[in-house]
Amino acid sequence: MSTTDGPLALGSGGGLATPPMGVFARPRDTPGWRGWVTTVDHKKIGIMYGVAALFFFLIGGIEALLIRLQLAAPDGKLLSADLYNQVFTMHGTTMIFLVVMPIGAAFMNYLLPLQIGARDVAFPRLNALSFWCFLFGGVVLNSSWLLGGGADGGWFNYAPNNGVIFSPTHGIDFWNMGLIITGISSLVGAINLITTVLNMRAPGMTLMKMPVFTWMSLVTQFLLLFAIPVLTSAQFLLMFDRLFGARFFDVSAGADPLLWEHLFWIFGHPEVYIMILPAFGVISEIIPVFARKPIFGYPFMVFSGIAIGFMGWGVWAHHMFASGIGPISVAAFSVSTMFIAVPTGVKILNWLATMWGGKLKFSAPMLYSIGLVTMFTIGGLSGVTHAVAPADTQQTDTYYIVAHFHYVLFGGALFGFIGGWYFWWPKVFGYALGDRSGKANFWLLLLGFNLTFGPMHILGLQGMPRRTYTYRDGYGFNFWNLVSTVGAFLIALSFLVFFWNIWNSRRKAVAASKTRRLTMAGDPWDGRSLEWMLPSPTPVHNFDVVPTVTVLDDFWHRKYGEDEQGRLVRIAATEDVSQKGDATDVHLPSPSYWPLVLAFGLPWLAYGLIYNLWFCVLGVICIIAGMYGWIMEPSTEPGGEHDDHHEPHPTDASGDAAATTEEAALVD
Amino acid sequence: MTDLVDPHVSNAPGDPADAPDPSHGLSHVTSTGISNEKLAMWIFLGSECLLFGGLISTFLLYKGQTAGGPELHDLYDIAFTSISSFVLLMSSLTMVLAVSAIQRGDDRALRAWLLMTALLGSVFISGQVYEFKEFLNEGLGFTTSPASSAFFTLTGFHGAHVTIGLIMLISTMVLSLRGRITQQKAEAVEIVGLYWHFVDVVWIIVFTIVYLIK
Amino acid sequence: MNARARSRVLKLAPVLLGVVLVTASCASDAPQTTLKPKGPAANTINNLINPVFGVAGIVFVAILGGALFVALKFRAKDDTDYDEFPNQVHGNFKAEIGWTIFPAVILAAVGVATVVTIFDLAQKPPPEAVQVEVIGQQWWWEYRYDLDRDGTYDEIITANDLVIPAGQEISLQIRSRDVIHSWWAPALNGKKDAVPGRTHPLSIEADDPGEYIGQCTEFCGLSHAEMRIKVVALTPDEFEAWTANQVEEFEAPTEERAAAGWAAFAGQCTSCHRLSGMTDPATGGEFEYPAVVNQVSGAAPNLANFVTRTTFAGAKFDLRKDTEACRELGQEWASTEEGLEQCLNRTDLEAWLRNAPAQKEMAAGPVPHPTSRGMNNFNLTEDQIDDLVAFLITLK
Repeated sequence: MSTTDGPLALGSGGGLATPPMGVFARPRDTPGWRGWVTTVDHKKIGIMYGVAALFFFLIGGIEALLIRLQLAAPDGKLLSADLYNQVFTMHGTTMIFLVVMPIGAAFMNYLLPLQIGARDVAFPRLNALSFWCFLFGGVVLNSSWLLGGGADGGWFNYAPNNGVIFSPTHGIDFWNMGLIITGISSLVGAINLITTVLNMRAPGMTLMKMPVFTWMSLVTQFLLLFAIPVLTSAQFLLMFDRLFGARFFDVSAGADPLLWEHLFWIFGHPEVYIMILPAFGVISEIIPVFARKPIFGYPFMVFSGIAIGFMGWGVWAHHMFASGIGPISVAAFSVSTMFIAVPTGVKILNWLATMWGGKLKFSAPMLYSIGLVTMFTIGGLSGVTHAVAPADTQQTDTYYIVAHFHYVLFGGALFGFIGGWYFWWPKVFGYALGDRSGKANFWLLLLGFNLTFGPMHILGLQGMPRRTYTYRDGYGFNFWNLVSTVGAFLIALSFLVFFWNIWNSRRKAVAASKTRRLTMAGDPWDGRSLEWMLPSPTPVHNFDVVPTVTVLDDFWHRKYGEDEQGRLVRIAATEDVSQKGDATDVHLPSPSYWPLVLAFGLPWLAYGLIYNLWFCVLGVICIIAGMYGWIMEPSTEPGGEHDDHHEPHPTDASGDAAATTEEAALVD
Repeated sequence: MTDLVDPHVSNAPGDPADAPDPSHGLSHVTSTGISNEKLAMWIFLGSECLLFGGLISTFLLYKGQTAGGPELHDLYDIAFTSISSFVLLMSSLTMVLAVSAIQRGDDRALRAWLLMTALLGSVFISGQVYEFKEFLNEGLGFTTSPASSAFFTLTGFHGAHVTIGLIMLISTMVLSLRGRITQQKAEAVEIVGLYWHFVDVVWIIVFTIVYLIK
Repeated sequence: MNARARSRVLKLAPVLLGVVLVTASCASDAPQTTLKPKGPAANTINNLINPVFGVAGIVFVAILGGALFVALKFRAKDDTDYDEFPNQVHGNFKAEIGWTIFPAVILAAVGVATVVTIFDLAQKPPPEAVQVEVIGQQWWWEYRYDLDRDGTYDEIITANDLVIPAGQEISLQIRSRDVIHSWWAPALNGKKDAVPGRTHPLSIEADDPGEYIGQCTEFCGLSHAEMRIKVVALTPDEFEAWTANQVEEFEAPTEERAAAGWAAFAGQCTSCHRLSGMTDPATGGEFEYPAVVNQVSGAAPNLANFVTRTTFAGAKFDLRKDTEACRELGQEWASTEEGLEQCLNRTDLEAWLRNAPAQKEMAAGPVPHPTSRGMNNFNLTEDQIDDLVAFLITLK
């Protein structure tokens, strides 16, 4: 988009701007693919997160199907032990770091600024950097498949099995470097989104008027902020061990393998909540809309989320009940783990209470939300059974655990996210996904999901260990493994329905409107939060005027009020309280190449450390060039460099800027 | 880490392009009243605490694991390291003076104090390099033992942070020379200062844990 | 549409119910199951978890049933109904406090029971308990017995089968020589990790004589799936006899084939394997074993009394054929010519000697080197293999 001077003019000019300072030009008119690689628009970045995550989901999904094929019958011969170990390691790593986390990031990037009434995130270029780091981290991780094989130590990569002696290929190096790079992405993203939510809320949007999704995202970002550096520090130790001969995990020199376990799970348990809390947020937006009631107990929803965030730091050693940490630690972590079920249970019951007495409409997003509530409950209950530490010594490292965390992360996080896709698809792409196909998609997924992971409870209790490339006849494992494999293919089929639905719905919408630039009503679900007052798809500048917020669910209350009897009545037509998206005087941050250039240096650092330090030189050049360009890049804003005196943007409240600022105090 | 340097540096020249609408150009118009850049630095430093937390825990676990190599406490020259620690602490003072100079609008004093800060920081880094070299001569290499690996990693990470701080200080000086750090931009210096003070505080903890506690 | 949604919801109910029922009644032919404890520790765990499963089951039915009920009862009948607003309830502080406190109380009860059980299970075994050191390495388990209770586990060194007396408490000290493993025989007790550099205690006891199987449950690399565990519980008398036989010293065989086998063994196999208690006829004393440098763990199974075991190669293969008749013979299956003839799993043993890495996934490499894990292919001739088998079956 071009804003060298004058008002915003979409896609008007061509070529590059003359560099105002004679240093670096900043791209301005950006059609086609260049518009995507140079974008700093949180919406485009959100979409790119989603697309990349779906691509990695295909890879991780194929890995999952390979695992299920191998285990469909006893003594499977499809994969060798070596390959199987790589496949399950990469499946776990991919699904966690390259699928569930970035899908969460996709929702947060797209929605947070809209839900708090902001034009963009606090640091748009850092936002682009986050995305590119995530993408390149994923590429480094997966490039191991082409460069000698993937990591083979499990996603948790316990020491000393992750050492060079026990894993002599470079797989674990790729794993290590790839995740350090995605860690940079998460860290930069966390700083950016926390700043955004704390600092850029619309006038009147106090913390306790933020939508629940925004709240859960904020908690998630704080968890990332503090959890990622712990993993990064552990990964640096591992990198020094593997590449430079350090002795952090050399037992013969007196090292203690439990160091890795502790560091990994201090990261690893908050990580679980990093994955699930955004999905909790998503369905907390969906359920009220389709129940036509406000969320039940908003403060409880918010504070239980915060409580989960805090308690998530005190439970990590429940991954280590069998590791010999001593009965006092085991008892303490056992009890703390049980009590984290309390705030989670509050959420479940509050969702049900939101539905209670409502007028429920089972559109696809609602079905997925109920899917989350029920499936997550199953995962939560099995979670309580292995918080009982003595029982966990029977359950841990068996398929019972595999069942548990798939109910939590697939039945929980992914169900919520898919519901979110159906819910916000119109807002993002200007057309709705077919509801009938969406329902078919849901029931097929629900069936496939339960067939795949339900039997794993039984397998685990019958003693089938995890991470085994084969099992024997005569152990009672055959039937349920076969069922599970059939279920896995039903899941695959349900995703085919999903992709077909995307294609087909778009085809129909294009045919109906005779244009490829699809638009539709801004508020198709009779929504509650601010993003629904915008046209669909969201205009590049988000808000024509920044809304002034007075209550929770502000947009809803602009549409509906109460009559004398306290009944809800419409007080304004949706069109009258929606924005037209036709503002022309909005200055937007200009696109930039530099986040991409900077992030592009990181994979070369990784390859350099693994193969040849000369690659590092290339990487460092990219990084320095990226930073220098970043700093020297001129603004394309009218008035240029030193101009600090812009008029504050108009808000829809009649009052001056100073007054609205005061309304936006930290808490109400 | 390097990529995280840019928000404040990039804002030092007053690049408003990074600050979108409600706040840009009017950096005090934020919901909290704290500018985005300063808030981001505080948040970043929160994260850094956990990074050093991980490394410090590692050191505490391993400091006695010498695998037949030299004991760390036999090699320490506490007097020497105390002096270099004192030098680093003094640089926090000069940093405060630099911030106060630019808040008064005194460009020359700003540059002088920044230079002083950078010099003191460089003295500290030189001391660390010298110390590392001495340890190597005494037979304590990076790969000698878990204790030595943990020692060099922890102090090395801190040294890298100081080095990044030095780059930030020098960049700020250069920008000031070009006239791009005005009194209105004093906050940019303040943000660099936040980072610098954080690195100093971490050193006090590291120095206590690594050198003073047996 | 709503009717259809309803019928779909109803169709789902039996599926979920089915899952519950099947979980509750697991298949009977599962020898590694956690649900049929055969020893006091496993019983304690079972008695703790069964009520928790019950409570979880009730909550499961309540929440899923509740969700189903709410979904059916409060569904909008049609679009006009949907457009009529329900009562706009924002919350109910009392109810929410209630469902914060109520689960917390239930969990507190579970927590108390759990903590009590944790410390119960962590009690030190009595001093008269049989003392066994359990050492995991890629990908087999070594068991060393301290019979004279001098703190060194050197009287019996065996592998794959952990032989114990039934009805007595066994004190295991679990260690590892390379990576983290986890020792688990679900019928007897929960698992405990074998962490290199650490020793972790675990007590087991089998109520009755019999065989109890398990396997390594901490991912430990290539053949993690085939690092199996077998606990053989004998009657106290049988155990007495077994130990007496194990500690007895013996001479290298003199019969021609077996002697040739010993020669081959001494020439090649002793670079890793040991035969504790065997006198070398050449010297009249113990054989001078070289240091084991070709294995990461620095050890290979000690093959003394080899054919008193029922499995080999990390318990991946049966040494004693797994038939009813052979199982009857117990650990002494090879003590008679007839038993040996009938029950020796010669096929797998010869295949193992022919090309071990083809029989089990290992990181042995073409030439033994310090990072080898597992047995190599030594390109033995069929004659050598026959000789070796003839030698091995003398190790009774």
